[in-house]
Amino acid sequence: MHLKVENLIKFYNKSEPLISSLNFEVKKGEIVSFLGESGVGKTTFLKCISGLEKINSGSITLNDKVLNSSDVFVSPQKRNIAFVFQDYPLFPHLTLEENIIFNLEKKYVNKLDYMLSLTNLKNLTKRYPHELSGGEQQRACIARALIREPDLLLLDEPFSNLDLAIKHNIIDEIYQIIKATETTTILVTHDINDSLNIADKILVFKAGKLQQYDNPVEMYCKPANCYCAKILGGINKYHKGGEDFYIRAEKIKIEALSEISLTVKKSLFQGKEYIITADYNGETWSLFSSTPLKKEEKIFVSFDEEDLIYFPPHCHNYF
Amino acid sequence: MEIVQKLFKTENKRWLLVSLIVSTILLAPLVLLFVNIFNIDVSAFLYLWNNLLLEYSLNTVYLIFITSIVSLFFGVIPAWFISNYAFRFRRFFDIALYLPLAIPTYIMAFTYSDILSFTGPLQSFLRAKAPSVSDVFNLDYLQIEVLGIILGLSLYPYIYTACRLSFSLIGSTYINMSKSLGLSGLKLFYKVVLPLSKPAIFSGLFLVIMEVLNEYGAVKYFGVNTYTTGIFRAWFSMGNESTAIQLACLLLFIVFFFLFVQKTITKKTKFYYSKNSATQKLSPLNKNKRFYAYFSCLVPFVLGFAIPLTYILFNFFYNFNDINFSKLLSLSANSISVSTIASLIIICVAILFLYVEKISKLTINKTLNQITSLGYVVPGAVIGLAIILLFTKTPFLQSFSLVGSFSVLIYAYVFRFLAVGKSPIKSSLEKHPDSFDETAKTLGLGPFNILRKIHFPINKLALIIAFIVTFVDLLKELPITLILRPFNFDTLATQTYQFAIEEMMVDSAVYSLAIIIIGTIMLVLLKSMVNKQINAS
Repeated sequence: MHLKVENLIKFYNKSEPLISSLNFEVKKGEIVSFLGESGVGKTTFLKCISGLEKINSGSITLNDKVLNSSDVFVSPQKRNIAFVFQDYPLFPHLTLEENIIFNLEKKYVNKLDYMLSLTNLKNLTKRYPHELSGGEQQRACIARALIREPDLLLLDEPFSNLDLAIKHNIIDEIYQIIKATETTTILVTHDINDSLNIADKILVFKAGKLQQYDNPVEMYCKPANCYCAKILGGINKYHKGGEDFYIRAEKIKIEALSEISLTVKKSLFQGKEYIITADYNGETWSLFSSTPLKKEEKIFVSFDEEDLIYFPPHCHNYF
Repeated sequence: MEIVQKLFKTENKRWLLVSLIVSTILLAPLVLLFVNIFNIDVSAFLYLWNNLLLEYSLNTVYLIFITSIVSLFFGVIPAWFISNYAFRFRRFFDIALYLPLAIPTYIMAFTYSDILSFTGPLQSFLRAKAPSVSDVFNLDYLQIEVLGIILGLSLYPYIYTACRLSFSLIGSTYINMSKSLGLSGLKLFYKVVLPLSKPAIFSGLFLVIMEVLNEYGAVKYFGVNTYTTGIFRAWFSMGNESTAIQLACLLLFIVFFFLFVQKTITKKTKFYYSKNSATQKLSPLNKNKRFYAYFSCLVPFVLGFAIPLTYILFNFFYNFNDINFSKLLSLSANSISVSTIASLIIICVAILFLYVEKISKLTINKTLNQITSLGYVVPGAVIGLAIILLFTKTPFLQSFSLVGSFSVLIYAYVFRFLAVGKSPIKSSLEKHPDSFDETAKTLGLGPFNILRKIHFPINKLALIIAFIVTFVDLLKELPITLILRPFNFDTLATQTYQFAIEEMMVDSAVYSLAIIIIGTIMLVLLKSMVNKQINAS
């Protein structure tokens, strides 16, 4: 296993641990998305991996070498882990090229041309950071990280400062670059769409604990709990045979007549279709419709039984 | 014990250790001063209590009051006009209003007392041209009120600088919002701008008060008895070390009281302006307002800079043939060399403290950083006294006979002016995100190389600004230099003072002029750099 995190505990205040006992493994070349809400400790987790923060307990092993445990601490300078920060910190007194080759070992300097063409920055080498766009700055940070062939690449909310218009192109570009260099990557984000677009595996993190660690398809189809289910899209509660089941909004079809009837409360245009909010026996449901529906209109819906998701009863009060 | 354990566990032990040693060296004199207060001579204290203390206290408070009012008047109003209105010579005034900082307070006081004296140009002119009114002006001008006005004219740039920056930072968002809520003109100024600028105004005013408490040359010349002159008199004239120590400690308590008041006021009203608040566009002025704008800018500039400079220039040319230029050159070299050496050391120490605070994030560093910055509020006379005590009362240091050496003079300067050099570097360091350091770490750089390869280049401008402000302050410094200078060593400041105190104003002109010219050049340079920074942000 390339990266192994065992029983990692991190706190600033002992009574309120930010990360309590985190365990997971990453294979070489995999892109793992670390998904969680703002303030949940995502950046702290990356800082623990990179050595910018010390862990309180547990261990981090990379390439079979222990980086941090109760009696070992390898400084960030010696870890060969590249960290791309959220605010694209290119040094303002250096040009783009100087930033990329900053403190670079001689053996990597000949990779500069390859890295510049990979990140599409060849014509901008003499520009200073303030002369670059957000996307260019970000690609420069990634080039600076990848040119030294890191054992692990850490990306902290890399897309949060980008306009929606260029975001998808950049996600695609970065995915191509990372895959081309076969760099093991951990991407921290709060946006599920970023994770789905780029990650081989998703790690959902909440309340200091790992909730689920799986590939996106499994995560979507077999969420571990309500929180994981909700994070990958809206779910609706359906009571059947004395038990609660859940069904995703996109799995619900509007019919001319069926056993299940809903009362429309809201109909909002979303571009391709309308998102409908409706009442079902006191529960609020959401579903999609290709045409607008009137308020208080009665509609009938159906879905396949196999699309129903079941969680154990304790999950109902969880989150 | 827990602190010691933390120190041993911390990553950057060597840096921390060096900063702890330097802090201890810097704070030693003050600690010793407080230790000595317990060995006081009771009879001396009773004499001080019964005869001098009330006079010293009343004079000090009264002088602070007058100086503060004058400084506020000349500092706030022109800053408002220059920050918000477009008028001819606005840019000139923006620089010119800083220039009184180039004239030391004692030179300003000597010059005005000479101008206003019976044999001075004003009264001589009136006697010749308007004998009937000349008697009205034949007054004793060596009064505390006149001194307060003169100090106000000399010190208002501290308030002007703070207000100018604050008024520019408030930006158009708040102004436009207030206008849309129906406020205009004067109401807008005192209901929105003044409250928002309160922290800046108070920090400027605090500096003015500290300068008044530190003042020695001017108060001595005007014969006003304050704590500072009391320390000098008790120690040098009466040889009463005990009374001097008591006065120094009392003065320190007063200073700490003002510091506490200033911190309390600014802590409650610390505002953070949103970054997207666009800079206020300059508005045109109508005829009436234009008159007030010119008047409010011209008066402090003319009284605080143009008149004293013209009079000194007149004396300089009058005495031109008798000027000893080789002495002028050697004194200028002395002033420039001690100021340069001390400024460079101050910048190195400031970088050390600030950088260690940045990389260690330990509370002890933050606290030490704040305590060592207190030097600026400690009057020069107190520092001089404390340092002499340190080198004469500490058995280990006694044998080195360091008092009266350059190293001790520089040591005193470093403690007194460390905060001056620290301030621009601190604000510049705070502007850069921690991710610069963290990125550099993950790219393989250690703390020293991060400092050398990242922080030095990106904070270059702040380092130059820090050097200039420290240099200008050191060039004018008088009380510490008078107490601790080596035997037969003079600076431009001490020579000016010696001639002036002996009523040889004409002879002192060339030395005053040298201080003013060097100071003015540095301040103009500084102002253009600060303006560049304001425009860049």
